[in-house]
Amino acid sequence: LFLIVALVASHVANSMKRQTEIARKREKEMGDLYAFSRRLAAAPAAAEIYRAIEDHLTTHAERKVVLFGAGSADADEVQPPGDAAVPGQVRAAIADVQRGHSVEANVTDDTGNVWHVRRVSQKTPDFGVIAIDLGKVPADEAADVHQRVNDMLSDAADTLERLDVAHALDQAKMRSETELLREALIGSVSHELRTPLASILGAATVLSQSPAVANDERLNSLASVVRDEAERLNNDIQNLLDATRISREQIKPRMEWIEPSDIVNSALERRRRRLLGHTVALDVDSNLPFIYVDPVLIEQAFAQVVDNAAKYSPLGSTITVAAKRNGHGLVLSVRDTGVGLTGEESAQLGDRFFRGARHASTTSGSGLGLWIAKAFVSANGGRIEADSAGVNLGTMIAIKLPVAPNTPQQETDPDD
Amino acid sequence: MTEPAPVVLVIDDEVQIRRFLRAGLELDGFVVQEAETGADAMRAVTLTPPDLVILDLGLPDMDGADVLERLRAWSNVPLIVLSVRSNEAEKVRLLESGADDYVVKPFGMAELLARAHAAMRRQVRATSGEPVVRAGPLSIDLAARFVTINGERVILTPKEYRLLQILAQHAGNVVTHQFLLKEIWGSPHIHDTHYLRIFVRKLRQKIEADPTQPRILVTELGIGYRLALPEPARPAVA
Repeated sequence: LFLIVALVASHVANSMKRQTEIARKREKEMGDLYAFSRRLAAAPAAAEIYRAIEDHLTTHAERKVVLFGAGSADADEVQPPGDAAVPGQVRAAIADVQRGHSVEANVTDDTGNVWHVRRVSQKTPDFGVIAIDLGKVPADEAADVHQRVNDMLSDAADTLERLDVAHALDQAKMRSETELLREALIGSVSHELRTPLASILGAATVLSQSPAVANDERLNSLASVVRDEAERLNNDIQNLLDATRISREQIKPRMEWIEPSDIVNSALERRRRRLLGHTVALDVDSNLPFIYVDPVLIEQAFAQVVDNAAKYSPLGSTITVAAKRNGHGLVLSVRDTGVGLTGEESAQLGDRFFRGARHASTTSGSGLGLWIAKAFVSANGGRIEADSAGVNLGTMIAIKLPVAPNTPQQETDPDD
Repeated sequence: MTEPAPVVLVIDDEVQIRRFLRAGLELDGFVVQEAETGADAMRAVTLTPPDLVILDLGLPDMDGADVLERLRAWSNVPLIVLSVRSNEAEKVRLLESGADDYVVKPFGMAELLARAHAAMRRQVRATSGEPVVRAGPLSIDLAARFVTINGERVILTPKEYRLLQILAQHAGNVVTHQFLLKEIWGSPHIHDTHYLRIFVRKLRQKIEADPTQPRILVTELGIGYRLALPEPARPAVA
């Protein structure tokens, strides 16, 4: 009897011990889950949540967990740990889920381990994909683990959703602060650089007018050098400012009807000193249709094209500047007899910071000019095209602009 | 009889800019006064009324536009604005509030002097009643409403003449689109820039040797038009 009692008691004790163990385990689980949700609630960024999910699953479930960010801005932050240890079948399943072919999958790898692969959020693939190594689990326990993983993830996904909004707001705030800072910086740099430049350039022009310098050819040419270089520097600063304006998408064209030849003449006048060493041949049709553009932006783009022609063609050569009607458009073009373009250069021309390797060391420049010109022209609904017969066979750059069908002309004469 | 040297007030807080402006203006025969702040400038203008004001917009104590406005409240002195702002709307606003012209920093001395002399001539014309304005081969008799090119009479429509007349009254200085449109077609047409484009094209065909390369009636993109005066051959005197 004693034996029976002992056996029963031991059984009861064992059972009670088991029950206690289970209860403790549950309690620990609850505690963990509570800590987990608190951590989620306090998470300042998505990356923090991913880390929390990983930690929680790894320590609590004692499972190997791999997280993949997908498409979200945090993709880079969420590096899959131990990437190399993820079996090929699992990777394929992850890729499948990432591409949206499936929401979840269970995969058995070569060693017989079962992996549970699913989206972090059932609603959206934006929050990435999670892969959990469940080990060699019997089917009934697997269901239990699944359930717990699901509970935990739905909690996390909710927080992620909430946070994504917060995160976006955060980014916007940060962006606008950066913008302000950048704006202030650009403003102050442009002021700080331009004020001394104005003194340098102004002083050089006064010097060249003073009798002592004006009557001495050598001194006069030096004063010219100072002026020209100051002007060049000023253009470079302008390019930097324009490039920033473009990057911030702050190009807002002020459209008006304009005489096309006014743009051409204005650009040539602005680059007058730059063109002194070249012969300029003008080929401007009379009675061109007026165009509806921001004349200041187009003039700046055209002046840049003219500048390039002067820069990449020999002194004394001819630069042909033309304005022509072409079908439903208008073409402002600049043709030089200079270094020309290789096919490769043509393709890259106008890319930001692109400079032909042939001239990078011999001719100064930033590779911004044509990129800016392109941006200005496309902001006005036009485009820039380059054409060259080849190396040293000259270059033709054309600015093509649309002509509106309702162009005001003589017949809408507002005279009395 | 020798005219007293004209007095110019330079309002600029940058000492290096004042320095080259002083040198350049003195070389051109001006007596130069300087002011560093808007407050200084207002005092200087009241004490010794200058014949010309050169105003930098970036002043430490007040916006250059405010100085301009206060000055224009009681003085018609020729005034050129030095601007760093390549913002056309801003320039137009300053011209509308009474600046005679502007130059954008950095600028050459010759450019500034040309604008300044043009503004001063307008002043002289207004007081002396000199009726004839010449711009290269073009001559406009504002009293007789008679326009000639190389001595030959040019026939203009009333509105074409009106356009030329306004530009002639400001010969050498820029006149904004808005001002021209308001004067010729009235306030409702203040944004109809294409009226001007059509008229200027027709006018150029009558007065320019090559209308596609105008030398007399020149365009200031985004701002307005200018009747260009040939650069006077100015002997450099110390």
